[in-house]
Amino acid sequence: MTAADNEGAAAAAPDPDPDEAQRAIEYCYSRGWSDGLPLVPVSQPLLDAFLATTSKDPDEIIGALEQVGRDVNVRTAAINAAMAGCKPEYFPVVLAAFEALMRERAARGGGFQSTSGPSPLIVVNGPVREELGFNTAGGAFGPGFRPNATIPRAVGLIVRNAFGIVPHVLEQATQGLPGRWQVCIAENEEESPWEPFAENGGVAGGVSAVSATLTRTMEFVDNRHTPNHEDVLRDLQDTISRIGSQIFPRSSVALVLCPEHAQMFANAGMSKADVQNWLLERCGRTGAELTSMGKAEVNTKTFHGPYEGDEAFHKFLAGPTSIPVIVAGAKNAAISMVVRIFGEWSGTAVPVGEKK
Amino acid sequence: MPNAILDPTGTVTSSAKPAAPRAPRLASLRGKRVGLLINTKMNARPFLEEVGRLLRERYDVTLTERVKVNFAVPEPEDVIKELAAEADAIITGVGDCGSCSAAAAADGVVLEAAGVPVAAIITDSFIPTADAMAALRGAPGYKYATTAHPVAVLTQDKVKERAAQVLDDVVALLTDESTKAQA
Repeated sequence: MTAADNEGAAAAAPDPDPDEAQRAIEYCYSRGWSDGLPLVPVSQPLLDAFLATTSKDPDEIIGALEQVGRDVNVRTAAINAAMAGCKPEYFPVVLAAFEALMRERAARGGGFQSTSGPSPLIVVNGPVREELGFNTAGGAFGPGFRPNATIPRAVGLIVRNAFGIVPHVLEQATQGLPGRWQVCIAENEEESPWEPFAENGGVAGGVSAVSATLTRTMEFVDNRHTPNHEDVLRDLQDTISRIGSQIFPRSSVALVLCPEHAQMFANAGMSKADVQNWLLERCGRTGAELTSMGKAEVNTKTFHGPYEGDEAFHKFLAGPTSIPVIVAGAKNAAISMVVRIFGEWSGTAVPVGEKK
Repeated sequence: MPNAILDPTGTVTSSAKPAAPRAPRLASLRGKRVGLLINTKMNARPFLEEVGRLLRERYDVTLTERVKVNFAVPEPEDVIKELAAEADAIITGVGDCGSCSAAAAADGVVLEAAGVPVAAIITDSFIPTADAMAALRGAPGYKYATTAHPVAVLTQDKVKERAAQVLDDVVALLTDESTKAQA
């Protein structure tokens, strides 16, 4: 930048006044809008810049929580996205992420109010990853990248402010979880041996799309010393079959595989469906094991009667939407993540809308 | 203000909700039809069935049972209508989680507005969320019965004890204060 450029920029926009900025930030806190971190105070011109990125009408309702009698339109969503620190051009991704999340039965039901305090897992595919500067490589779960960090925060602020789900009142999380409203991964399509994740949700590869589900926590599987892909599958099976996370007869996990594990499976001739089917058949525990940890009671008193037979094997995963497979992270170590899904993934992806 | 900081909460506020009317209380439960609305949470069924059994013993009530369509959200409108038509009083619960305690309070408010007195039973950990939901539904200060948290881990004997303990509160919620002493 030359001295002349500098002068030009200074003339167009004088140095911001930190005292005024702090006053605006504190104003937002005082109104109860914050998730605990500072918010970007939103002005009408900033809102207009967000609304200009979508062909949707500002008054269009994009989600409702019938049980609390609240809904959210495009305008209110845009204010929350701007407050979260999104750039205007992220807004179509926020809208797609929110639509994808609201397709989840658990999100429309009591998920946001739940004692389990679930967090959305948002997955972005397609050219929008590059265009907006998403992190598609190392440190997939964050932090450090503005779109990955601010888009899930925008969803959290919509739930807080537009739906009115506030901690200790309508939000009743017992312990919650780290990373709530912070998890947005852009799939590492470039190093994935398989079709993009959005294709599993019905959106063709090469199209920008967002998928989302609610999750309870995630557990790493670090397995970097075996040449045998079945060893790794058994290691994943062991983590997926943990009883502590089992509260219903069936459960769901998202498998976020690092490129190294994914490529190992692919090199062994496995498709994504092969990996899913291998685990579907094997993840579960016996009736005796479930009973010894008090988990038979859930089934007996609440659902379908007792687990049959002490030695009978009870599969935990029901089908492909119980185990979505995503490839993310750097190809620098063989570390994958088992992400516990709250409910079940809808099995659909939402294309990122373009301004018509 | 020429350049106002914009409000992210939308235009809907709880204060804008019209007040929900409370149903008239019953003079007595004697011979009445009492509906049990079971929310499927662990021990909810034996808890409500024991409350029902005790009421039948004491007041010769007729019991009907229904299972909530979805414990996490309030009942749909057609179910509310049917419930209001088939019972003189309704007992619902047990609200022992974030969404189901709020839903129990919401069902209570809506059924009251449909003309049926309701006793919702909620564990004491969820008083703030039940109160918030009732206020959202236009019934700030809505009254319900509470029992100590947790209920899900109780043995069947303990569930019966709890049901007996909450019984007077349930009766008081459903009947007119002036006639309670004679009941």
